Amino acid sequence: MGRGRSLSLEGSAIDTLTIIQVLVSGILLGGIYAVISIGLTMIFGVTRIINFAHGEFLMLAMYGTFWLFTFYGMDPYVSLLIVTPAMFLVGLLAQWSVIQPILGAAPLMQIFATVGLSVAMQNAALLVWHADYRTVRTSYSTSVLEVGGLLVSIPRLAAFGVAVLMAVGFFLLFKYTYLGKALRAVAQDRRSAMLMGINVERIYLLSFGIGTACVGVAGAMLMPMYYTFPTVGTYFVLTAFVVVVLGGMGSMTGACVGGLIIGVIEAFSGFLIAPALKEAVYFVIFILMLLFRPWGLFGQRGAEEVGLK
Amino acid sequence: MNALGRPGEPRIYVPLLGLLLIVLAPLAIESPFYLHVLVMILFYAALSQAWNIIGGFAGQLSLGHTAFFGIGAYASTLVFLQYGLTPWIGAVFGGLLASIAAFAISYPCFRLRGPFFTLSTIAFGEVVRILAIYFRDLTRGSVGLQIPFKPSLTNLVFQSKASYLYLAVGFLLLTTWIAWWIQRSKLGHELVALREDEDAAEAVGINTHWAKLIAVMVSAFLTALGGVFYSQFVLFIEPYSVFSLDLSIQFALVAIIGGIGTVTGPIIGSFIVTPVSEFARAWLGGSFRGLHFLVYGLVLIVVVILLPRGIGEWLRIPYQRLLRRLPGWRPFEAPAAAPVPAAAFAPVPAGGNGFLLECRQVSKYFRGLAALHQVDLTVRPGEILGLIGPNGAGKTTLFNVVTSFYPPDEGQILFAGRPITGIRPPHRIIRLGIGRTFQVVKPFTNVTALENVVVGAFCRTTDADQARAEAARILEMVGMGQKMDILARSLTIAERKRLELARALATRPQLLLLDEVMAGLNPTEVAEMIALVRRIRETGISILVIEHVMRVIMSLCDRIVVLHHGEKIAEGTPGEVSHDRRVIEAYLGEEYLIA
Repeated sequence: MGRGRSLSLEGSAIDTLTIIQVLVSGILLGGIYAVISIGLTMIFGVTRIINFAHGEFLMLAMYGTFWLFTFYGMDPYVSLLIVTPAMFLVGLLAQWSVIQPILGAAPLMQIFATVGLSVAMQNAALLVWHADYRTVRTSYSTSVLEVGGLLVSIPRLAAFGVAVLMAVGFFLLFKYTYLGKALRAVAQDRRSAMLMGINVERIYLLSFGIGTACVGVAGAMLMPMYYTFPTVGTYFVLTAFVVVVLGGMGSMTGACVGGLIIGVIEAFSGFLIAPALKEAVYFVIFILMLLFRPWGLFGQRGAEEVGLK
Repeated sequence: MNALGRPGEPRIYVPLLGLLLIVLAPLAIESPFYLHVLVMILFYAALSQAWNIIGGFAGQLSLGHTAFFGIGAYASTLVFLQYGLTPWIGAVFGGLLASIAAFAISYPCFRLRGPFFTLSTIAFGEVVRILAIYFRDLTRGSVGLQIPFKPSLTNLVFQSKASYLYLAVGFLLLTTWIAWWIQRSKLGHELVALREDEDAAEAVGINTHWAKLIAVMVSAFLTALGGVFYSQFVLFIEPYSVFSLDLSIQFALVAIIGGIGTVTGPIIGSFIVTPVSEFARAWLGGSFRGLHFLVYGLVLIVVVILLPRGIGEWLRIPYQRLLRRLPGWRPFEAPAAAPVPAAAFAPVPAGGNGFLLECRQVSKYFRGLAALHQVDLTVRPGEILGLIGPNGAGKTTLFNVVTSFYPPDEGQILFAGRPITGIRPPHRIIRLGIGRTFQVVKPFTNVTALENVVVGAFCRTTDADQARAEAARILEMVGMGQKMDILARSLTIAERKRLELARALATRPQLLLLDEVMAGLNPTEVAEMIALVRRIRETGISILVIEHVMRVIMSLCDRIVVLHHGEKIAEGTPGEVSHDRRVIEAYLGEEYLIA
């Protein structure tokens, strides 16, 4: 913000208000990225599997929200209550049918099982729902809140609020519940956790379910302000990978902070460099991050050993 | 190579007949559509073959190969459109450009392992596509580039599908020949070794980073040629089609379905997978877009879960059975080869102290914890030196410091009088003549015992027959002659320990570091192992051995060094050490703690 002021003092066209505006929209956007990334990082932290199909689960959630709206006129924020548990079940199903059988396989094969799942789901959607862009028109889709000259999009604000709630919820879950502790234990050492009487297979199932439920929430929150189409997941999952690597694989704090950072970077690079290059900017950050600090901002050195924190 | 000299054998003439059928296909098939399908099968087989060199042999799962494909397509098309340069030369240009790009991105990214490497390749592919769209002055952005339809050999544009078929056959033969050659060569063995276990690969003297770089550059070059073929075949390129993640996935998917890491896998995979997409597109039309990729995805999941070694593996046995019934079949004969020449090591200096290995005041700290603290240790030529100490004393850390798996924080290490401190990575130390085994054995699990040792033998030769003969000789020596063709993962723990020893021996070391090669063995096996270690010493190899079994240490070693909490607390003959008060305390203390 200091930078914005100095820019405006120089008489540049970029004034402080614009900078704050970009910053705010970046942070709000980052909230959604954080929710998606929390799910991804949780699945990785516990099962050590990078779920390449995570984006397709998001796509499914967005379509779910869309159809509930189209057929039953259900408000996306209400359908969140249906989509989230439904996605939880989808996550369980995917874990049970695809992930469980390959847990002992080589990492190479694990990657490919989830890539296969991603390809299959994406193209099933293309087959059934075609490539059309679909969105829901709500009364608040384009409404904005004006605070001291700042324009804040209502759906973005709502999404951010939900993201904050979820982050707090996860913090409490990990800190105070048995399930949370069991998740952390399995994340740290599968075998020791088993010896402590934790049903590891069940924890794997639950982590996949919870991680997928996260994109259920994200899908419902995204629908009022975004389009859905069969490949929408690719865009978001690549962003989520960037976030998760930036924050540190398996780190919840990392997913939240990383989400915000990427949101802000995306907003500013779209604004200052070129909208067409904003993805390139954060992919370059992604590669640099992988090279110089592969354990991320909040992960531990030796990324294979990271746990949930 | 000698197999090629016998066309009368079914393993030679059956593939040749298959090739002949494809070459003659245009005579029998009139429909341009069927020819098109055949071209696409060969095209994807070749690209998958190229991917397989880095993705399969080396196990580096790249999902960014579309970048190399697109670079090839754009480079040759642009130089053709701008300067009228024939795509024949443009292809080489594009290939080199792709190789350079592959080097630039892989050089840093190969430090990443497993999924992290895959993610970085995806990001690379995405960045290249975004840039191709953005720099429209050069690439015309999303509009794409059109190649004028002027058929001629120089323009690499043809009227008939048959010409493209021959081009595709040539492309597939080229990639397959290169893949086949790599697989049999030293490089191929190095790639498989590092795929199975990167640390163990370094420990047999493989420059893993360099091997991966060579593989990815070859792979990128061939993939770029595929891009050139595509642009000449379709005569139109745009960023979304030549730089798509789907394309990267398809290269990998074909190889995995057919059989990852094999030369036949990509070809089998393409014959199974490619027709699905081509027929789905033609018969079902636009209303069923996505169907073929849906089928791909499902087949991929099923193959990964049920047939992780691919459909080719499943077909292999019936195929072998068929070959055996055909006329001219003869069992494969192992080639005779000259022995691997002994490695020329720097002689141990006779003057001065004459130590083979000398550690001076070596320290290694892990976040303040002194795993090694100012340790002095020397190994004399021809000696068996025992290294003992309670758990956590720093014995294995010392091995890791000597072989450069960890750099020491302080101190100096000399080998044959020459300072080797800070020589990294580990393979350079191994090549100087220090062999090592690992406490937790690290065999290359998915290859045979023989192949495991062959990898070690390649440390001192580039000749495959020679390496093979050497490996067989060493396996006989360690008493594993009967187990050569068994996969390493099927061996018992005692056999794995011997295999590990054989693999280290194959690197022709002057000094051998053995980390608990007796642990977990029964008394008979221990006795055999002791005899074996003695025999190895008789061949002139000096040995530094970590061992917990006191009986073994006492009977085997000339001298013993005792470590405790990272410090050397005693040194001397077995008799001296066993009566040392501090040694007894250290061990009793340990037992006291356990009780």
